[in-house]
Amino acid sequence: MSVAKSKRLFAIIAMLVMLAMVVTACGGNDGAENGGDNPGGDLVEVKIGVSSPFTGDVAALGTGIRNGAQLAIEEAAPELEEMGISLSMLAVDDAADPKTGVNAANQMVSDSAVVGIVAHLNSGVSIPASAVYNEAGVVQVSPASTNPALTLQGFENVFRVCTIDTVQGSFAAEYAYDELGFTSVAVIDDSTPYGEGLAAEFAAAFEAKGGEITSTDKIQVKDLDFTALVTKIRSANPDLIYFGGMYTEAALVSKQSKEAGFEGPVMGGDGLYTQQYIDIAGAANAEGDFATSIGLPLSEQPKGQEFQDMFEATFPGQTIEAYDTYAYDATMVVVEAIKAVAADLGADAVTSVAGKQAIIEAVAVTDMQGVTGNVSFDENGDTTNKAVTPYVVRDGAWVPYTD
Amino acid sequence: MSVELGIIAQQFVNGLTLGGMYALLALGYTLVYGILLMINFAHAEMFMFGAYVGLFTLQGLSRIEFFTSSGPALLLLYLLTFLIAMVATGILGVIIERFAYRPLRHAPRLAPLISAIGVSLFLQNAALLWISSRSLPFPVLFEVRTFRIGGASISSMQILIITVTILLMLVLDTFISRTRLGKSMRATSQDRETAGLMGIDINRVIALTFFIGPALGGAAGIFSGMYYGNIKYNMGFIPGIKAFTAAVVGGIGNLRGAMLGGFLIGLLESLAAAYISTGYKDVIAFVILIIVLIFKPGGLLGESVAEKV
Amino acid sequence: MGAVRNGLVAVNDFFSTRPGRIGFFFVLALITLFLPVFFQAAGNVFMVRIFALVGIYVLLALGLNIVVGYAGLLNLGYIAFYAVGAYAGMNLGFLMQELLVGLGFLGERPENWSYWVLLPFAAVPGVLAGIMIGAPVLRLRGDYLAIVTLGFGEIVRIAITNDIAGITNGASGLPGVGQSVAPVAGQMWVRENLSFGNFLFSKDLYWYYIIVALVLFAIFVITRLDNSRLGRAWVAMREDEVAASSVGVNILTTKLWAFALGAAWGGIAGHTYAYWVGFISPESFNFMESVLVVCMVVLGGMGSIPGTILGAVIITAAPEIIRVAATSPVFAGFLTPEQAALVGDYRFLIFGGLMVVMMALRPQGILPSKRRARELHPIDDTILAQENQQLWEAEHKHESDSDLL
Repeated sequence: MSVAKSKRLFAIIAMLVMLAMVVTACGGNDGAENGGDNPGGDLVEVKIGVSSPFTGDVAALGTGIRNGAQLAIEEAAPELEEMGISLSMLAVDDAADPKTGVNAANQMVSDSAVVGIVAHLNSGVSIPASAVYNEAGVVQVSPASTNPALTLQGFENVFRVCTIDTVQGSFAAEYAYDELGFTSVAVIDDSTPYGEGLAAEFAAAFEAKGGEITSTDKIQVKDLDFTALVTKIRSANPDLIYFGGMYTEAALVSKQSKEAGFEGPVMGGDGLYTQQYIDIAGAANAEGDFATSIGLPLSEQPKGQEFQDMFEATFPGQTIEAYDTYAYDATMVVVEAIKAVAADLGADAVTSVAGKQAIIEAVAVTDMQGVTGNVSFDENGDTTNKAVTPYVVRDGAWVPYTD
Repeated sequence: MSVELGIIAQQFVNGLTLGGMYALLALGYTLVYGILLMINFAHAEMFMFGAYVGLFTLQGLSRIEFFTSSGPALLLLYLLTFLIAMVATGILGVIIERFAYRPLRHAPRLAPLISAIGVSLFLQNAALLWISSRSLPFPVLFEVRTFRIGGASISSMQILIITVTILLMLVLDTFISRTRLGKSMRATSQDRETAGLMGIDINRVIALTFFIGPALGGAAGIFSGMYYGNIKYNMGFIPGIKAFTAAVVGGIGNLRGAMLGGFLIGLLESLAAAYISTGYKDVIAFVILIIVLIFKPGGLLGESVAEKV
Repeated sequence: MGAVRNGLVAVNDFFSTRPGRIGFFFVLALITLFLPVFFQAAGNVFMVRIFALVGIYVLLALGLNIVVGYAGLLNLGYIAFYAVGAYAGMNLGFLMQELLVGLGFLGERPENWSYWVLLPFAAVPGVLAGIMIGAPVLRLRGDYLAIVTLGFGEIVRIAITNDIAGITNGASGLPGVGQSVAPVAGQMWVRENLSFGNFLFSKDLYWYYIIVALVLFAIFVITRLDNSRLGRAWVAMREDEVAASSVGVNILTTKLWAFALGAAWGGIAGHTYAYWVGFISPESFNFMESVLVVCMVVLGGMGSIPGTILGAVIITAAPEIIRVAATSPVFAGFLTPEQAALVGDYRFLIFGGLMVVMMALRPQGILPSKRRARELHPIDDTILAQENQQLWEAEHKHESDSDLL
């Protein structure tokens, strides 16, 4: 009996010792003590935290964000090195899940070398994580979280370079009604903060214009079968289906609605603006579908071609996803702020509490030319770049819509 | 009015197509449960695995010009694809049984469940990391026609899925009720120990069960790929839960119950999405489950069996 | 090799002595109480948070252990009680805050007393939900009950996602725009009065101690339950329902008690989680969470409190620790940042494989309950053989006795 008992106790001890060893190793993950063994010698180690889903349903968009941020950091690193700073990226997976996201946020701010965060694709992750960044006094620039609530929490350290749902949803509604001539619409959202917010804004603006909403429905992310829903929509026969959500479900709605005999197009927000949408729906089904996305099309921007070249050189064989350029711009916003603070207070001060505060203030007054257009922030921390471009699927690819 | 009726007819076909896939998947849950009394949580991953093998086989074989040259050759291509994917998925099922479940045959009831959850996590992440985190488009090499009858639009794909599903079920039903091997499976499910004493090789029967169930699940996975046009590493999760629900509604351990349950859940889900609420359609499936179990605790076609966790 | 074994034996011998055991619990208590302080002082808020998160899951696992471990009912929708506790706590908190502000009780700097005032009642929503769900379906046995509880768990999650009764704010979660959860009373006080130098008594540390206190309370209550009349009734029922009911155990009420008392801890954990994190959304309450809590109980050892706690610690902390350890300086020598990131991505693959291996090695769980380990498993050959042997001996002993007479 006592042997069994002591064995059990031994097992607990062994577990705890192992746990303690591993966590103590993590405890050592502190900028201050291992700053000395940098390859750069006297350089101050500075990191930008990047977090988005690298695994899970929207991993394609999430890794795109990491790619964009990596490009910006690689581009800026040589210049910062001259200022005495070695800049690197700390990329952490948030799995598009609020709990994992908040853990990731804590992991990043626990590293004192992290002076800025480019993070979170999903608004549902960004909102709880922003409280962590606020408590730690680290700036957060979101490349893709578009739910209005994010910047309305009264946090001075929270910014975003993407247009909020209010702007995009009402733009889409006006465009659909005035320019495209649709008068009735069936609205679907995917029960996420992003999709719900966007669809609600669209519906409100479309009704205000005098359009008719024939139905509003909620679907669940990961669902595959929307045949019942689209059959029902077809019987009401609206001009258009508006989908608030991401590309996978949107593409299935597009495919199944056309197979069920619905003749109108599907329209959605920036979550649809990726080649994946067309691949899943099938080019024939997606033909004529609309999406709105912020900023000008990549090809029409002075730095657009440059970005594309740079991207193709660094990530051969990969495609540019919807938020890559925003992630690049968001990272550049932080980089510019680091430069300003380093010039002002000296490179050593960048990672101090005062330095991080100075970075927040520097980001607030950002005024730079990014890939997505001119980047500056209003008093809430939202981008002042409110340009929204409508896109349409033509011959199996998204192209800017022109009449 | 006839348009209204047509829409209802179309909803029925939608539901039957969905239900056919649930039913095929539910058969795997019910077969394993009937023999080992365990919930094979990893069965949902068979759906996913079958779809991936199907996709790669289809992509590989369609490079050979012969297969796309004529109608009969195309049919052969699809038959081969199904055969290869079903056999591969069946083998995976047998391997999983051998390494994850067999060591636990005498363990407490919940241990195999946890092991199954582990297998499920492993397979899902393996597909995510080693294949792709994205949805992969699933090509359809033949022309899908849409038939309009009254107000209804029914695609040839839906007809194909429903027909083949029913065909596979008939084959399985005949196999279980008419052949010697089927008989030994039934015997094992009734009383494993006694069946063993009567000279039935229990391990072989269990391995066979773990071949047939996943093979059918794999076929359902290919159907899902063909019907929805894309496949993904986590595609098995939701159909898995629904199919398990279907197996229980029909009476778990009962093959015909699983088929009935699958079609019933698919049909009710479609009708609920159309006429009640899309947001609550899954709630309706579970409410049906609860009502059925309260009034018929053994499921529609099952008997109530005493057991414990 | 021999030296290692001798070492292990020596350690074993040490722990089988009374001072050894006391020493062990002393060290355990020290680690539990002070390791997070050490991390906080090192500026590693992440680890403090992981400690607190582990605590929440320990609470959940202990609660589910009542249902699965003691009463032997498989509940695959346990997370619903956690969700009910979280949403009830938030909503009642908003109501209370409004009421207090309306009555003019709160001055310039409103302290948020909602958490503390509601804590004694936090179990109530969970218990009510447990009774509501349990009453109609507890007649079902085994796996039928499991699938029905799974269904209820999904129903609760979907209802929350669809903003049922207008109190959950749908997918956007709580607090919605215009609502806010102020720092809970006491948090500011410890921050101002117990911080010195570089050490900040942070929000996460404050909550960590609250959670530790709740876990200790749960262990106390559950141990008492286990040894109570009700606890015995659960064992009897789990062993053999028919036999138990024939000796006067009311099966339905006994099951209902297990369900309600298990749900109570889910409710308390939910209430605490909501106020700690200050944000809840339906994504946090999905089916996978229920499954993970079941895994904690089974992996650790059903019916065993130390086992359940260990299971919760391993399952909650392991993926996070795999991820962080890979990027820590310890491994920097032989893992490039890319490889480290890859290990992070592989964490669930590794974790899934580990679950299979663990079950193959110790199907009864890592630290199984003694009582359950001795249970009669009808398909367990060794136990059956033992029983037969004993019966045979008993019979023959009787024979020889009668011979003597």
